[in-house]
Amino acid sequence: MPITYDMMKRTTAQLYEWSLRKVPDDTLDALRRARETETNTVAQRTLGILLRSAEMAETQDRLVCSDSGVPTYTIAIGTGVRLEGDIRRAIEDGFDELVATTNPPLLKHVTNPLTNERGYRGKDMPLVTWDIVDGADHVDITCQPKALGSGRWAALEIFTFPTLERIEEYVMECVLKAGSQHCPPVNIGVGIGGSFDHCAKMAAKATLRQYGTTNPEPVLAAMEERLLRAVNATGFGPMGTGGDTTALGVHIEYCAGHGFTPVAVAFNCWINRRTRARLYGDGRLERVE
Amino acid sequence: MSAPATEDGIRRLRMPLSREDARSLRAGDMVLLDGEIVITAGLPTCQRLVECAEGRRELPRPLDGTGLFHLGSYSREAPDGGFEVLYMNPTTSTRFNALMPGLIRHFRLSAVGGKGGLDAACAEAMREVGCVYLSFVGGGAPLLSDAIREVVSVHWNDLVSHYRLVTLRVEGLGPLTVGIDAQGNSLYADLSQAAADRMPAIMAELARARAAAEGAP
Repeated sequence: MPITYDMMKRTTAQLYEWSLRKVPDDTLDALRRARETETNTVAQRTLGILLRSAEMAETQDRLVCSDSGVPTYTIAIGTGVRLEGDIRRAIEDGFDELVATTNPPLLKHVTNPLTNERGYRGKDMPLVTWDIVDGADHVDITCQPKALGSGRWAALEIFTFPTLERIEEYVMECVLKAGSQHCPPVNIGVGIGGSFDHCAKMAAKATLRQYGTTNPEPVLAAMEERLLRAVNATGFGPMGTGGDTTALGVHIEYCAGHGFTPVAVAFNCWINRRTRARLYGDGRLERVE
Repeated sequence: MSAPATEDGIRRLRMPLSREDARSLRAGDMVLLDGEIVITAGLPTCQRLVECAEGRRELPRPLDGTGLFHLGSYSREAPDGGFEVLYMNPTTSTRFNALMPGLIRHFRLSAVGGKGGLDAACAEAMREVGCVYLSFVGGGAPLLSDAIREVVSVHWNDLVSHYRLVTLRVEGLGPLTVGIDAQGNSLYADLSQAAADRMPAIMAELARARAAAEGAP
């Protein structure tokens, strides 16, 4: 059976709605662990407030943050899947319907960059990254409402045959620049290599990885570990008012490139908003996170 | 009269803050607020307030000595004709850096706040008038919204909801952290400086860990 317009419309809207109310479990666990090890009293309390806010949102069906961001999706289509109808339009229509019906209503965050006018619709919204998965019999959909409180601190620079030292130094420069601003403790995604656009996508994709996962490449696994310690040695702390917990994880993705190597750094705020589900041809929706 | 600290060290303060209370707070203190606050998350709103300060626009409500916070809210007309606020949450304060010194001085604000802090020019204006910066937790919408007891007024409804100038009566809003005190001490400036000072040591530690990882079998 095909995956239809209606299924895509419903699923993408649902994922968005869920992501505004539920802090992912790996993130809650990481916040709890951080609260146990924090040595700064204000930071410990702040982590407690964040956890309380997350709990209230989940149990009382409320928004964690008033900034519901702009809708972004990463969609991987299995080659065993048949699609029917206007799948791209389904995502747009799903967001329109969500805006019209969701309770409480969402604030207008979709911004026309030429006029700074804000609304619910805009050119190319929702933002979608498409991918193909060989052999899979489902469509894998990740929703990541993106707000610029943390998103605006993302950065990319292209280096000439950089050493690992230079790459790490650049990540730390970005961390220092963001300082107290990005609603820490953050999830840091780093992309190394590829092209300009591909590198930025890798950094964004890296922020989707669960806390506790490491890159299978030993060089990068070690880099993730030492960079996390380095970031937390800066002392910005939860909500940037001081403490040991500035980041809960550093996730790095890489790919081959040309030697003129882009390095991209992206940040997710403490809420680490993301939901993910698999949609099967028989209509089954499997919630992954 | 400044309020005593509660058992857990969190002070409970009446808004708008008296100068005495404002000046008694120290960066790093935690507080809960009761009383009246004014909020907006809009840059266009703060630009309008600058116009008011310059006499080019009528001020919709007096702001002298108030607490003006960078909080966005969803407000809508209630069936009874008034307004209801469904939720509120802080926004990044630094994007108001250029406008805040003028507003702090002109309206002699006793408290400002949001998330992420304000710059040195703002801290200087705050020191002059006796004003503190309070840090609200980002993503604290359920907790912060529960402190709303009354929507006192909503002005500039031609703007999108989170840009409106909203006056609320709150009870037990917080806990909030004093990020910048009226003596000019700023956690944000101190932490940035400390992090910059630590960078050589942090880079040295990264080099050591890198060498150890490269040397590993």
